[in-house]
Formats: sequence, C-alpha cells, structure tokens
Amino acid sequence: MKNAASADQQAIQSTNDKDIIVIKDMNKWYGNFHVLKDINLTVKKGERIVVCGPSGSGKSTMIRCINRLEEFQRGSLTVNDVEMIDDVKNIEAIRKEVGMVFQHFNLFPHLSILDNLTLGPIWVQKKPKDEAEAIAMKYLERVKIPDQANKFPGQLSGGQQQRVAIARSLCMSPEIMLFDEPTSALDPEMIKEVLDVMVELADEGMTMICVTHEMGFAKKVADRVIFMDGGEIVEQNTPHEFFDHPETDRLQLFLSQILQH
Amino acid sequence: MKAKEFKPLPAQPAPVSTIGVIPWLRNNLLSSPFNITVTVIIVAALLAIVPDMLDWLIFSANWSGETQAACVKDGACWVFISAWSQQIFYGSYPDGEIWRVNLSLLLLAGVIASSFALPARLRNKVSVPAYLCLPFVCLLILDGSYIGLKEVTTDLWGGFSLNVLIAAASIIIAFPFGFLWALGRQSDMPFARSVSVTCIEFFRGTPILALFFMGSVMLPLFFPANVSVDKLLRVWIILVLFMSAYMAEVFRSGFAAIPKGQYEAADSIGLGYWQKTLLIIFPQVIKVSMPNILATFVMVFKNTVFLLVIAVPEMLQVIMAALSNSNWLGGHAIEGYLFVGFIFWICCFSMSLLATSIEKKLDTSHKN
Repeated sequence: MKNAASADQQAIQSTNDKDIIVIKDMNKWYGNFHVLKDINLTVKKGERIVVCGPSGSGKSTMIRCINRLEEFQRGSLTVNDVEMIDDVKNIEAIRKEVGMVFQHFNLFPHLSILDNLTLGPIWVQKKPKDEAEAIAMKYLERVKIPDQANKFPGQLSGGQQQRVAIARSLCMSPEIMLFDEPTSALDPEMIKEVLDVMVELADEGMTMICVTHEMGFAKKVADRVIFMDGGEIVEQNTPHEFFDHPETDRLQLFLSQILQH
Repeated sequence: MKAKEFKPLPAQPAPVSTIGVIPWLRNNLLSSPFNITVTVIIVAALLAIVPDMLDWLIFSANWSGETQAACVKDGACWVFISAWSQQIFYGSYPDGEIWRVNLSLLLLAGVIASSFALPARLRNKVSVPAYLCLPFVCLLILDGSYIGLKEVTTDLWGGFSLNVLIAAASIIIAFPFGFLWALGRQSDMPFARSVSVTCIEFFRGTPILALFFMGSVMLPLFFPANVSVDKLLRVWIILVLFMSAYMAEVFRSGFAAIPKGQYEAADSIGLGYWQKTLLIIFPQVIKVSMPNILATFVMVFKNTVFLLVIAVPEMLQVIMAALSNSNWLGGHAIEGYLFVGFIFWICCFSMSLLATSIEKKLDTSHKN
C-alpha cells in the first residue's frame, strides 16, 4: 500500500504538510453489524481524495463520521486539531470547518434559494443579513445560477439544486468539503454541470473528500483514490497507479466491473 | 457534417369534446345505464324534499316580531332566535359592557388577519407575539377589574362569543405546548420523554366530558379550602391540556414526515438544536400537518358545546335554557338546534377554507 507522498508533482505543490484530518483505528458498529473496521486515514490540507467501493462498503458512513452525522464506537478522529469527542463545543467547532454535500441535495424546501444560503452565515456565524446575502450571491455566481436566487428548491432541476447545495456549504467558508455521492441522484445531462463546479473547487485548493463512482472525475482531480470494501480501506493510491496497476484482486474485480460499460 | 436541427412540436389545445359542462355531465352522471338510474333517483328525491324544506325554512317562516305570539305562519319561527339573539351571542354579559366582548372578537379577527396580511419579514416578529398575548389581553378586557373597567365575573360570560373565545384561547396556548410535548416525546432525555408521553397519553385517552367533570367537580377537592380557582379558568386549562395532547400527536406525525436529510443538512451547516428545530423542522412540520391541525381546531371548537354539561352558559346551553323559558314553550327546538348547527357549520367551513389557503401559501414544492 503506497501513500500520498508518492502522488504526482502537481499534487504535492498544491498541498502543504498540515494534516487536517487524522483518523486512527476507527471502528463503528450498527448494533452487532461491524460497518467500519480499523479505518486509518490522514488527509493533508488541500488534498483531494476520492473514495469508491461497492455499496455497503462503509464509504458514506466513514465520511459521515467526519462531521458526526454518525458516531463511531472506537478509535479517534481529529479535524483541524480538534478532537471529535462527545462534547457539543467540539462538535460545533468541527462542523464549522466541514461542509457537506448530500446525494439528495437536502435543500430546505420551505426557504428560497437565497435563504437556504444565508441561513448558516446569519444564524451560525452571526453575520449581518446584507453581508450574508452578499456572500450568498458571490457563491451563487460561482456555481453559475445567480438568477435563481429568489426561486424555491422545488422549482430547480436536480443539477441546479446540487449546485445550490454546494454553494450553501461554501457560504460557511469551510476548510474541508465532504461529498457523499453528489451525482448519483442526477440525470446524465446534469452530472457534468455539478462535476464542473467540483473540478473548479478542486483547482482552487479546497480539501475535498468525495465518495463517487465518477471515475473520470477521480482521474482528473484526485490526489489519492481510496477503495473500500466490507468496512475497510482495501487500497489507496494515486489515480494513475490506482486505475492502471491495482494491487489487490478485489480492486481488479471492482474496476473490471465498473469499467466494462 | 452538420447535424439536423431539432424543433419541438408546438402544444395543441385539448379536444373540445372533453372539456366543458355537457361532456362533464355525460362522463360523470350519465355514463352508464346504472349511473343514469342513480342520477334520476337522486334528482327525484331532491325535487320531493327541497321545495318543502325551503318553504319551511324561508318562504313560510316567521321573520319579524318580538314574542311567540308573532309566530302565526306554518314555517319556522325565527323570531325565537332573534328574540334571544343577545343571550345566544353574549350570554348574560351586562348590556352596557357588550362592546368589550365585541372588542375581544375584533382583536381576534385582527390578529388572524394580520398573520395573512403582513409581509413575511414581519409576520414572525409581530404575529406570533400577538397571538400569544391575545388570550391574556382578552381576559383583561372581559374581566375588566384589573384595567379600571367594571368587573364582569366569569359566570356572566356566555353565548357563542364564549365558544369562540375559549376555543381560540385554548388553541393558541395549546399550539406551543403541543409542540413541546411532541419534541419531548422524541427526545433522548428520559425525563422529558416520560413526562411528555404521560401527559399525551392521559389527556388523549380520557374523554373530554370526563375531563370537564373532573375539572369542575374533582379538581376543587384537591385545592386547599381557602383557594378557589375560577370555573372558567379550570375549563380553559383542561381544554388547553386536552388540545395539547392532540396537537402533540399531530406534530409527531408531522415530524415523521420530515426526511432525515433535513436534520443532517441542518447539522452539517452547524445549526444548534433549537435553531434546527425552529428554523428548519417546525415550518415543514406545520406544512405537512396543516390538514390535521385544522381537524384538531375544528374538534376543539365543536367540543366547547360540551361545556353545557358543567353548566357553563355557552351557546347550546343558552338555547336549551331559552327552550324551557315559560314564554317560549311550544317546541322551537328544531329552529334552535338548526341555528346552532348552522352557526357552527359556517365557522368550521370558514376555518376549512382558511386552512386551504394557508396550505396553498405554504406550498413551495411546485409539484404536480
């Protein structure tokens, strides 16, 4: 198993050496079901990581542990030097640094797009309303839908909703962005517009962990690709090595199945 | 090679034979021999009943006069209602002070109207406190002794205005209570959960009549001898608790309808528990629960007539007293009960229309 230090030259330039996420021996059970087994993962600031694997392999569960949408029972997790413990202050501090984008967008249907975006800045960061709106418009422009600001989520297409969801997370100026299968619920024509936004974000040096089956995206932007199966990290490598020289038979099988079409 | 240009076809109007009155009649009332038979029977039955009914209700009815002697025609004796109208609407509230009841009703109407008329920006800041203050302001106005007006004791309050005001006051206070109980019921804290479950199950599982009897007869036994709590106040508290239990269950079903993703999105943004609950969950719960909330409102409003069993002079109680008045013996029961039914129906139907308009206003999903 190689680690990120052998990533290609460009990736090394865009990262610095600070470990922003450190996961040590993380274990999680749902009742008696062991979903995460001894997960060890270190993510450096600015690193772009793609996680893939068959369904039920624990990839979503792993990234959901990072902002405590799920709790784990054993091991440790540190985000930006704050340890994840059962303390509201630590949880809040970590959630401030971590933005998340969901498979089903999870926009707030009763609020306009602009209100969806300003909610966090106003209520969590206590920013004045006009400042929050300025920030919101800035990010809506970045995801290329400023003209939809006063519509409601139900009026937007899936791709637009997902871009709003990305903008909503960015409004909190997070250090880390987690993407939980952001394109899995989208029509083929809409996947590109969301991936374009994500590529832009990656180019700007955002630390990203992305659970996705978009292998083109992984090849294009990832510094490291992680393969999970049965609740453990089976293999991780640079995209080039990962796709061209998979080490384990499990990954070879997985790749042969997804790349057949 | 240049690709062929794709031009979408223009939309065309629907065929004429499928829209309009006559196709509707043909499709819905006369579509098969069986449907034709049913339609004919129903029309015949209506023709047999409606003219006589209208005659009794309107054309042969007695509309003017002051006493029972004025009712000479065959139809309904509406004089009975008009002669008793002040009692029916205001109970025994003193003549010169009736403006206070009207003012209270006006305030209620004003607060309801304000929650529709105000722009969204002000609505939460103005209407919510206005609603919550309203019962207590009305209490001060109607009682009068604390604000320098002539005191009117609660045994004089009555009539339909009492039905309306006590129902409104109960609904308003029960709303936040019910929400708290519903939150408590799904809370992780054992204490909050057990208290909420106990309250909800007790008040929801007990008939309102039994609760009223308990409130009026049993509850005073538990108070010290020198403490007396006003009967109407006790009834109000019981209605609030009863209503809260129902509202809590209504809200619980609303909570169940909110996707887990909404909680997760709120968490991932970093909202705290109360921010998440009030800004994200509550508005959506209200939206999905609106039909059930209305059903509960209507239920409580109609339940206020049960106050007659503990001799609170609400509308039905007034009518029954009037029926046994020695000047009006002669069987005006049908007119009396019809009138009560009609007034309640008007109110409940308006509430239904109001709820429909709220549902439309809250609907931002734009789904078909």
